[in-house]
Amino acid sequence: MKKKGLGFYLRIYFKILAQDIKSKMSYRADFIISTIGMIFTNIAGFVSFWIMFRSFPSINGWGYYEMLFLYGFSLVAITPVQCLFDNNWSLRIAVYTGDFIKYCFRPINIFFYYQSEVFDIKGLGQLAFGIGTLIYSWNKIGLGFTPLILLKMIVFLITASLVMIAMQNAAAATCFWIMNSFYVLDLVTRFKDYAKYPVTIFSPVFRFIFTFLMPIAFIAYYPSLVILRPDEVPLLSWLSPLIGVVFFWLSYKFWMRGALKYNGTGS
Amino acid sequence: MKLKKHITLTKAGIMESLQFRLGTFVMALGNILYLIVVYYLWKAIYASAGTDSVNGMTFSDTLIYLVLATALFNFMEMYTVWEMGRSIQSGKIVLELLKPMEYRSYLFWSNSGAFVTNFVFTFLPTFIAVALVTHGAIHMGLNLLFFLISVIIAISINYSINFIVGTICVYTESIWGINIMKQVIVLLLSGATIPLAFFPETFRKITYYLPFQSIYNAPLSILLNAHPEPKELLVTIGTQLIWAAVLMILSKLFWKVSLRQITVNGG
Repeated sequence: MKKKGLGFYLRIYFKILAQDIKSKMSYRADFIISTIGMIFTNIAGFVSFWIMFRSFPSINGWGYYEMLFLYGFSLVAITPVQCLFDNNWSLRIAVYTGDFIKYCFRPINIFFYYQSEVFDIKGLGQLAFGIGTLIYSWNKIGLGFTPLILLKMIVFLITASLVMIAMQNAAAATCFWIMNSFYVLDLVTRFKDYAKYPVTIFSPVFRFIFTFLMPIAFIAYYPSLVILRPDEVPLLSWLSPLIGVVFFWLSYKFWMRGALKYNGTGS
Repeated sequence: MKLKKHITLTKAGIMESLQFRLGTFVMALGNILYLIVVYYLWKAIYASAGTDSVNGMTFSDTLIYLVLATALFNFMEMYTVWEMGRSIQSGKIVLELLKPMEYRSYLFWSNSGAFVTNFVFTFLPTFIAVALVTHGAIHMGLNLLFFLISVIIAISINYSINFIVGTICVYTESIWGINIMKQVIVLLLSGATIPLAFFPETFRKITYYLPFQSIYNAPLSILLNAHPEPKELLVTIGTQLIWAAVLMILSKLFWKVSLRQITVNGG
């Protein structure tokens, strides 16, 4: 089989995407209510953040606006997983009912085809919230603005997203082996909420766990250090783009391993 | 016998929830990790605050409050909205309406088995662990009895709110959006994520006029207060009782009106 190029996949991606948007638009009420629900979640997140840090000037040497920066950073970093990889949530059901077999018969990459089927528009609201928070805290902290820093920001945001995507892929792929993998996926999703706290608040054991085993520290803390504390960037921060790619690659391999061993339900 | 059919449903529920042991295990793991995050986060917050007591709550008060709030949440959450929404969308509701029991109480009692297992396997261990770890910060006396009464009323309030929100699904065909809005509002305004004592003055006053604080804040403040004034106790439980009655009547009426609206596609 001829290897297909990036252009081919991009073209196909937008074709599949258009279908998804069309079908979503036919359930307009659901779409509007879900969007409002998403906005609610973000507002409540802000309100809790504000209530908590209103009474305390700083946490572990992190000021209010620096914490806000971490928060905004994590919001932006989890947008790609929300928008582009939302179909992972249905994987369990597709595998269980046998619908997954249809993806195995297409002459394109299974992972790509499966993930491209759904685009979650409501994640864009979260992106807007995140960018707004980042710009606001950026101004308050008084960080400079140069093309270099913008480039760093973009690279490290992508890094952080890759880690988040990797975690979700791996969690979703457990459904190829175990029933009821919803809880695994739910667990990982709950953990993205804790990514916004500096990992230094934990004891060394849990710092290790949250860095290497359940790498939520790479979703906001390590990448943000490059921007927030340019004088004392630890090695792990510089390595984080590499680590992000490695985690993503591993999760992809894991996902594909499950998908390739899948042999339907027999119906 | 009227009670007999209720107990049968409870038994079936217990058996059903014991079937999904892996799910319970992953959920327990998730809770432990969550508690670890909460512990370190508030420890760091209190360390930075420099004082032992913030807004009248010490570190161990806050920890007990939040840990038990989570335990209560896990034990009271019943996914009613999802269940109702799915039944309405799939048309299964027709069969459930035919059952020789009112739908509202059928749904409650078929979920009550999960209450029993969750109480024994998650709430009790957490409670004992907290009591041991904090060396008697929880007073063991009459307050336990009042706590139990308060929790039972809280279950009723929580169920009525869930049932009202679930009834909205008759009109909207959206489950995710409706459910997330409910969850966000309840968790924030009931004091489950942040103790109400930390809220700004006016904001806190408003929450005391809403039913949500009766779900988590009321039982927990009864438990934590070793020597309550009888008047205070009466006001807290009285408020809970009033809300329980009002919401029960509202949810029954709303359901009765909405039942005429249900359209089932095929079936």
